[in-house]
Amino acid sequence: MKKVNYFLAALLGLSIQFASAQVKKGSVLIKNATVLTVTEGTLENSDVLVQDGIIKKVGHNLNAPNGVTTIDATGKYLMPGIIDAHSHLGLDVVNEATSPIVAEVRMKDVVNPYEVGIYRALAGGVTISHAMHGSANVIGGQNATLKHRWGSTDPADIIMQEAPRTIKFALGENPTRVHGRGNGIQPRTRMGVEAILRNGFNEAIQYKKAWTEYNAASSQKGSTAMAPVHNERLQILSDILDGKIIIHCHSYRADEIYMLINVARDFGITKLVFQHTNEGFKVAPEIAEYTMGASVFADWWAYKFEVYYSTAYNAAILTENGAITSINSDDAELIRHLYHEAAKTQRYGGMTDEQALSMITINPAKQLGIADKVGSIEEGKQGDLVIFEGHPLSSYAVPQMTFVDGVKYFDIKEDADDQRMKVSPTEMVEPVMVYGGHDSRCMQDTEHLFETTESLFLLNQ
Amino acid sequence: MKKPLLYAGVFCIMVSGLFSYTSAQAQSDPTGKKPITDTYAITNATVFTSPGQAGVKATVLIKDGLIQGVGSNLTLPKETKTIAGDSLFIYPGFIAGASDVGITRPKDPDRPDDFVSSNPPDEIAGITPWRSAVDQFSIKDSKVDDLRKVGFTVAQITPDGGMIAGKTAIILLGSENSTNLLKENTALAANFRGSRGMYPGTAVGVMAKFREVYDNTKLTSERSQKYSTVAGLKRPEITPTYSAMQEVTSGQIPVMFTTSSELEIRRAINLQKEKGFKLVLTGLEEYEGVLDVIKASGAAVLVKLEIPDDKAIKAMKDDASEEVKALNARVKKAYDDAIAQASKLEEAGIPFAFSTVGVKSGDIMKALQKMIENSLSEEAALAALTTNPASILGLSKVAGSIEKGKMANLILSTDSLFAEDSQIKHVVVDGIIFDYETKPKKKASTGGNSDGSVKIDGNWEYTSESPAGSGTGVLAIQKDGTSYTGTITYDDPSGSGKATAPISNVVLDGSSLSFSFTVTANGMEILVNVTGEVSEGSYDATMSVGEFGSFPFNGTLTPTLIANK
Repeated sequence: MKKVNYFLAALLGLSIQFASAQVKKGSVLIKNATVLTVTEGTLENSDVLVQDGIIKKVGHNLNAPNGVTTIDATGKYLMPGIIDAHSHLGLDVVNEATSPIVAEVRMKDVVNPYEVGIYRALAGGVTISHAMHGSANVIGGQNATLKHRWGSTDPADIIMQEAPRTIKFALGENPTRVHGRGNGIQPRTRMGVEAILRNGFNEAIQYKKAWTEYNAASSQKGSTAMAPVHNERLQILSDILDGKIIIHCHSYRADEIYMLINVARDFGITKLVFQHTNEGFKVAPEIAEYTMGASVFADWWAYKFEVYYSTAYNAAILTENGAITSINSDDAELIRHLYHEAAKTQRYGGMTDEQALSMITINPAKQLGIADKVGSIEEGKQGDLVIFEGHPLSSYAVPQMTFVDGVKYFDIKEDADDQRMKVSPTEMVEPVMVYGGHDSRCMQDTEHLFETTESLFLLNQ
Repeated sequence: MKKPLLYAGVFCIMVSGLFSYTSAQAQSDPTGKKPITDTYAITNATVFTSPGQAGVKATVLIKDGLIQGVGSNLTLPKETKTIAGDSLFIYPGFIAGASDVGITRPKDPDRPDDFVSSNPPDEIAGITPWRSAVDQFSIKDSKVDDLRKVGFTVAQITPDGGMIAGKTAIILLGSENSTNLLKENTALAANFRGSRGMYPGTAVGVMAKFREVYDNTKLTSERSQKYSTVAGLKRPEITPTYSAMQEVTSGQIPVMFTTSSELEIRRAINLQKEKGFKLVLTGLEEYEGVLDVIKASGAAVLVKLEIPDDKAIKAMKDDASEEVKALNARVKKAYDDAIAQASKLEEAGIPFAFSTVGVKSGDIMKALQKMIENSLSEEAALAALTTNPASILGLSKVAGSIEKGKMANLILSTDSLFAEDSQIKHVVVDGIIFDYETKPKKKASTGGNSDGSVKIDGNWEYTSESPAGSGTGVLAIQKDGTSYTGTITYDDPSGSGKATAPISNVVLDGSSLSFSFTVTANGMEILVNVTGEVSEGSYDATMSVGEFGSFPFNGTLTPTLIANK
């Protein structure tokens, strides 16, 4: 038994480290609210009791146990914490753009709990965001699901440790621009993207086989088997094939979406979510049948060639076809009013209140694999809640208080002018990075890769 | 890669006599530099033998590079050269836990024809664990004397390079005729810097690559082990990277991670927990929030010997709006907290030393004084410069305090070491005495060079940055009795070419220089105030332009052709 596979040891080491993180859990009783449970209808004049971070009771005339604060929410709306399935908040690095596959990189390594955008997201009722690797690579890094526990200084405390692993994929213009045009390597075209995926998975199969054979052989007495070279990248791809990781794939065009569905089917992958998915409406039945759905913008497009064929009815069409659909931000500003983005599906597509709210709560929760823990107001789920003045889908909605695990992290009445946790001792005004256009953070850290391309353009002008 | 010459004294602490100044010279010395004796006594000085010890009047006897005795009734051999130490204070020589002194970054190797940016060779990607700081070090570099001048006698030199730059070494800041090597391969220098335009390009890629290199080093060791005992096996692939990393994975030497911020400190400690290597954290600039994490990790700590610049603090104005004042207050608090951090380390009971990587030697004493002003005890400051680094570097038996049998590494100062006017007169390294000029004490005055204040008269070429773009011009300062006058040229805002204006309110206080001038643009008169620090012919200042804000202003004193006597 001495020959313990040391990947396992590393994994165990990691989980011990995660388990040791101390996360604040709170208790609160919110009374007389209009409770939008999302999964169990709307409950008028109802109370929700959260104890030690978990929703204990939803009902009428609940009494606060000893020491539990009561909040009167008469005339106000209570909804589950909003979940953003596509964000880059709280990350020091977004893109390791230097190779078409960088599955081995972990966004959990570079989580930055000091980013004030996390507080601003809370002010917009967002309690969970999916901190993703950028879209410069066909297979990007592993993402982190964050709980917005603002004020924590240990990155491990804002990582939702119980969330399953997810990974970023990207199709189309971004990876072909960075690697093909920027660096002169595969992929230069959409065909190349598919080749990278298939070759990568086939190598992962070989890799897993080599290790399985080695582990089997080395457990024999007097074995002379030599361990294969360790390759974390292929190990992660192998984990994807084993269904241990959910793919979240940046995509726009129907043909590339359909391509990835076919690749996934060929390799037996079912845990797949499409991101952006602007042409998802063209392949909505296929997305519904073979994947965990699509996470889309309400009405954002035309920021590059592959995103021209778009419609604000996308979310509604996907939903009506039975695809799990969420509305995301991919943006530190948009994340502050996702409830308004969700409401757009009512103007464009006539979604019901429940359908529209699902797109920013239970549906993204399903796509992140955390729907058993968050995404709706149900007894036993985590106490992530938002109190709104006005119905959240109304143009006049204003979030009042936001709770994560029963702890209040935002209160509009206690919202000081300067909420930064950390201030530089040497800068009067912190440098402000102004990025132009969309994909700003999706393509952060890749600017230098375009120098060659840009100089070529200049030459050809 | 390695100089065979160095093998002579490697892997163990050398008998210092072997490499000492006199032995290195032949009997006949055509240079005439050979000292007539290597036996010295500094008599009747105030000696501080180690941190926390009160100064006592004593004589220190040095022979063969070693301290032969400390006391009042020493018998001095005939060949002893005595230095009257009556007015001098003697301290143990400083030890830099990490330093880039005398280090020149090696040239990047050429990219091969089949270079692929997604999978570059280790050497090009900054993964060079086989490199040694010794190969990048020159004792003749002028920076060696700059650092010795402020009291440093021993330093752990770190190689310059990428994410895994190479092995550190411990050297003496001693004779130009010695290798000065105390220990080679003392730690592996690593950082989170990515390689430009290739894998790994960012901190997140560096962490993944570090894990991969580490894990495959272990696997390679296992394979090599098997290969050497069992016949009929495939030859394991051994690379310079894996060979050089084995000292780390086997726990022989620590990884010295450059971690300037709290988040970087946590990242290095996470890697340590995951992989189990020994860890030294170096170059710490911001760490107050993670003291408990550092303590729990057991990592050794090397704080960057620097305090944050106070430009932002100095640029604050009393007539600011309430909102700006509130923001200013936060910056001020952040600054005050930052300079008091070292004292928090002391409070937390974490023994630390210093890194001088990226630090200007001339600013070191000021930084130490600032830390002491902000609650770091003098004892802890001295420990961080002597006994703590000796212990972290495994030198406690030979350096760090003034005791019989230890290396003769001493500082001889004119006053209590950290006192504001204290100056270092001699530094003894390995028994060799280096003399430094001391200046008469500074008098408060507004001008003049003879009293020790800086020279500002002459022509300064300056550059300035503002939202309107970069500007250049000449600032001419003349001395007029005890005060200064002059003119400044600047890019004419209402046309092309240069405009000239007289400067006024020229005030020189110590090394800080300020003046004002008026710019006329479109019939509007704008007052420009410039204030900053003069240091060795360079002027690092901020200019505030009316109500438009504050911007950088940097000048260089043009050398005069005729010596200004």
